[in-house]
Amino acid sequence: MAKWSPRKTLTARSMFIVVIVVVAFLFCIGNLVRIQIVEADYYKSKAEENQLYDTEVPAKRGTIYDANGNIMAQSASVWLVFIDPHSVPNDEVRGKLCNDLSEMLDINGDSLMKKLKMDKYRYLVIKRRIEYDLKEKVSEFLETSYTYVVKDEATGEDYTRKAYVKTMVGIDPDVKRYYPNNGLASHLIGFTEGSDTGQAGVELYYDDILTGIPGRIVTAKNANSEAMPLQYETVYDAQQGTNIVLTVDENIQRYLENALEQAYIDNKCASANGIVMDVQTGAILAMATKDDYDLNSPRDVSDEDVQAEFEELQAKRAAKYEESGKTPTAEEIEQGKQEDMENAELNVFYDNIRNVTISDTYEPGSVFKTITACAALDQGVADPSTTVSCVPGGIHIANRTYHCNNHTVHGTLDMTGGLTKSCNSYFITMGQRLGVDNFFKYFEAFGFTEKTGIDLPAEAKPVAGVTYHPLSNMTIVDLASSSFGQSFQVTPIQMVTALSAIANGGKLMQPYVVAKTLDENGNVISETQPTVRRQIISAETSAAVAEMMRKVVNEGTAKNGYVIGYRVAGKTGTSQKLSKPGEHVASYGCFAPADDAKIAVIITIDEPHGGQIQGGQIAAPVAAQVVENTLKYMNVEPQYTESELKNLDTTLSNYKGKNVTETVKELKSKGFSYKVIGNGDKVVSHLPGAYQTIPQGGVVVLYTDGGPVDTKTTVPDFTNLTLTQVNQRAAASGLNVKISGNTLVNSELVSYSQSIGVGESVDYGTTVTVYFKSNTGVTDLTD
Amino acid sequence: MNKNTRTNTQSGSGLNVSSLRRQYFPFLTLRKPKDYLAKGSFDITFFLLVVALLTIGLVMMFSASYVNALYDSSASVENNPYYYIKNQLVFAVIGLVAMYVISKIRYDFYRDISFAVLLVSYVLLVLVLIFPVEIPGKEEFKRWLSLGFTTFQPSEIAKIAIIMYCAWSMERRKKAIYSDWKMMIPYMIVILSICVLVYLENHLSGTILILAIGLVMTFLGGINIKWYIPIVVVGVLGVIILVTYPEILEKYAGQRIVAWLDKDYDPQGARWQTNQSLYAIGSGGLFGLGLGNSRQKHLYMPEPQNDFVFAIVCEELGFIRVAFIILLFVLLVWRGFVIAMRAKDTFSSLLVMGIVFQVGLQTALNIAVVSDLIPNTGISLPFFSYGGTSLVILLAEMGMVLGVSRYSKIQKT
Repeated sequence: MAKWSPRKTLTARSMFIVVIVVVAFLFCIGNLVRIQIVEADYYKSKAEENQLYDTEVPAKRGTIYDANGNIMAQSASVWLVFIDPHSVPNDEVRGKLCNDLSEMLDINGDSLMKKLKMDKYRYLVIKRRIEYDLKEKVSEFLETSYTYVVKDEATGEDYTRKAYVKTMVGIDPDVKRYYPNNGLASHLIGFTEGSDTGQAGVELYYDDILTGIPGRIVTAKNANSEAMPLQYETVYDAQQGTNIVLTVDENIQRYLENALEQAYIDNKCASANGIVMDVQTGAILAMATKDDYDLNSPRDVSDEDVQAEFEELQAKRAAKYEESGKTPTAEEIEQGKQEDMENAELNVFYDNIRNVTISDTYEPGSVFKTITACAALDQGVADPSTTVSCVPGGIHIANRTYHCNNHTVHGTLDMTGGLTKSCNSYFITMGQRLGVDNFFKYFEAFGFTEKTGIDLPAEAKPVAGVTYHPLSNMTIVDLASSSFGQSFQVTPIQMVTALSAIANGGKLMQPYVVAKTLDENGNVISETQPTVRRQIISAETSAAVAEMMRKVVNEGTAKNGYVIGYRVAGKTGTSQKLSKPGEHVASYGCFAPADDAKIAVIITIDEPHGGQIQGGQIAAPVAAQVVENTLKYMNVEPQYTESELKNLDTTLSNYKGKNVTETVKELKSKGFSYKVIGNGDKVVSHLPGAYQTIPQGGVVVLYTDGGPVDTKTTVPDFTNLTLTQVNQRAAASGLNVKISGNTLVNSELVSYSQSIGVGESVDYGTTVTVYFKSNTGVTDLTD
Repeated sequence: MNKNTRTNTQSGSGLNVSSLRRQYFPFLTLRKPKDYLAKGSFDITFFLLVVALLTIGLVMMFSASYVNALYDSSASVENNPYYYIKNQLVFAVIGLVAMYVISKIRYDFYRDISFAVLLVSYVLLVLVLIFPVEIPGKEEFKRWLSLGFTTFQPSEIAKIAIIMYCAWSMERRKKAIYSDWKMMIPYMIVILSICVLVYLENHLSGTILILAIGLVMTFLGGINIKWYIPIVVVGVLGVIILVTYPEILEKYAGQRIVAWLDKDYDPQGARWQTNQSLYAIGSGGLFGLGLGNSRQKHLYMPEPQNDFVFAIVCEELGFIRVAFIILLFVLLVWRGFVIAMRAKDTFSSLLVMGIVFQVGLQTALNIAVVSDLIPNTGISLPFFSYGGTSLVILLAEMGMVLGVSRYSKIQKT
């Protein structure tokens, strides 16, 4: 600076300072570029973590309807209560809040306090599924506040503050599942638990589509957790779950369950199970396992069952200790008891919800002879007239000898005879004629080596070498026992599907329980098309075997499966349980009408202890009731044979106002009995009334103008009687009886059930249906 | 142009009272009031920049304060969302009037009162230590004095006092300053004594600002350049030591340095405000959430109308508009520099440079604080932050710059 000038120094130094300031600004801008552009997403998400409160809105779960649109399962809107422990200011408020909430919501104060103290959390659910009334009460409570005192640390002064309940407690929507029919079709429908997720049955299998998509409400809240102005709220609507229409018909389900319930009680069995299938489509019309459980409270198990299971587990535990030679300490015993109790409850629960019809396997026994018959006919190794001699000493295969039940000797039989008498020798011979390869071909074709593919969870998977003999190592001994349904296992759903194939001309269908799905407005989203898995036998074979099976019902072991007018084709089975020696499975499979089949029914009675074990005794009558009710309900026109016509009901003329003596004469001539009440000359009214149905030879009660008299009578016990006895007793009581059961055969029929209970008071002339069955000539136990 | 002053200096050799009065308090005797009426037109560009920044600042302060005021149930605010903007508008009007009036006064008046302003400033800085206005929750800070209807910070006065004093004094002694390197010492005594008083208020940021302004004034005044090498070295070392051993500072200041160094430190306390500020700035992105749509101002950001108003500006307006606002500040500094260079004498040049440097420095530091470039210190953003008296003082300073601009000469090359 040779020529010093203050001005120049000032200019230069000012310039320098300005440059420094500008550089500082550039630094700031650079930093803003980093925060606002480069790392903006990070800071934005951090800010949103602060501001945004995401609330899930549960989607309403889809409704489950039966085939007629009756509601089987439905979700209703309820509410849940949550707390925001973080917003509770101090222990004083916490205590008050805990008291008020636990009282209002009826929840344990201690556990609530524990949750209230988790002050790192902002959302803890304390009560689920509260109904409208309680929700309204909680809403009112939300508008209240607590006052509390805080001490200012600096000044030592006390300040009074307010803690608003709505900042600490809130209500959100929730859902609850209702099953209006409680236990009806419980194993098929299944139930939900937790956050409404399916745990069994259709509820589980179709959980995905039933669930729907939960909605969200994203709200921006300020630092006091109050909502910011509305513009920040984004609502994503919940999408309701898909509705499901079952193939199951509530009425048919009730027919099946009522019949099974009685069988379950009478036979003191482990379980009584049944399926009704539409043979043309494979649609399940009814499916039940008894005992059932209440879908509204699936975890409520009976104390007796738990106690029994507990004792069993304790016995096992004791045996284990004995085996190892150790003496358990008192502590171990106590712990073991606790464990066993917990396990017992779980075991009973799982046992209750088990759908035996698809999850359990059983030895099909003689019912399977229908399949062997199909195979033999279809393969051409025999025709219906092929005879086999059932001789004393049985039939020898390799080094084994097989006898028929009770060493019965059937003599020479054709195939119809083999089936009606359920002759083991006949079908062992058929099996040997087929040979291992052909037998297995049909075994496989009928679907016994694979799942049926029914749209329900937990279908038992057949396992080669475990549930059936694989082709690779099937010996002729295996073949022999297999050909009459022993030494392998199937599920009831497999069996009824196979029977349907015999009924429908040889098509093996895929069974299904969901007919269609609907959106929330009732529009059809999808409709299940029946799936033919394959053609397995020719229509001729199918027709031939169906006709033979009809004869089994009309004159063979299945005569208790007879239903007047409906030409039932059936086959009984009674098998020994290989897994539990000494126990049996009584079963009966049928379809009707034989020549134009609509439905197939399978009934299995597992481990019966009611004195009778034969499928023909205890399973066939169940099916008969189901078939009769179902086909009538489905408006299938009955076709009567001449002999059946004799037993048909007839219609009564109108005798009102006519002379009593003349009326009596006319009734006599038509074969009716009569009972005159009162001593007048004219008929004032009569029961059954004009144009009502009355069994042939039934009782007509005539009321005369002789004054009022008692019109009620008491229903007597009609069970365990012969036909004649029942008719006598009915006439004596002034009641009409309708006979259900096979009256065409000359074997001894015994009544076992009546439609109106003993001791009930009914009008004279009321018709009581009495169910008959035969206990002779229906045995088919194989050994 | 500096005829009068020079005359005084030459003739005032005697140490009698009247000579002292003439030297240090010339406004008392030398001139008649009408001599102080300024003529000519002021710099319209600078004026427009001031008006633009003030307008944007008021709008943004309103937006930032609205929610906070709405939720503030204290006796003064009473949940009135317009509380802050009403006050600020009153002071803005006062400030604009003051700015115009001050610009109409010849800057010779400010030269003449410079020494008196410094003395007043000393008195105020002592008074504030004795009679501070205690603000609840901020009792340890003795920064405010009461005027009855409002409060103000004597340190704000001290800043302009230092600028005026330095400009006045260094103009008088420019030859001595050039020839004697020791001339730094008396200025440093004045500056450091002011700094000590401000530091005693527990006002570190104010201390640093005044020190920086004072040093820049001596630098501009022509003090030997050699002084600034050790000063920069000491400054850098000081920063390094403070960053390494923040505990040597008093607790509140030290903690802020720790909170700046450790980004995870005490997120609910010491770093809360900075974090919320960063979230706000980041949320703004390129285009912002729109005027009035800040979310962070919904009680997340403490006192969004004060030092951190810029974060809300970033959130609502976005980077592009914020860059434009920063450009306005840069232009203000640049235009101030141009006015200073065109000024007729050293005093006015130094005065304008000092003022625009102060505004520029404060703005840059505020943005740096808000965006976490430097530790959180209490520096407000000129034209934007809430604060009546500081706005009035700022606009008064702008008035001085405008006043100087009336006497600009087209600079010769």
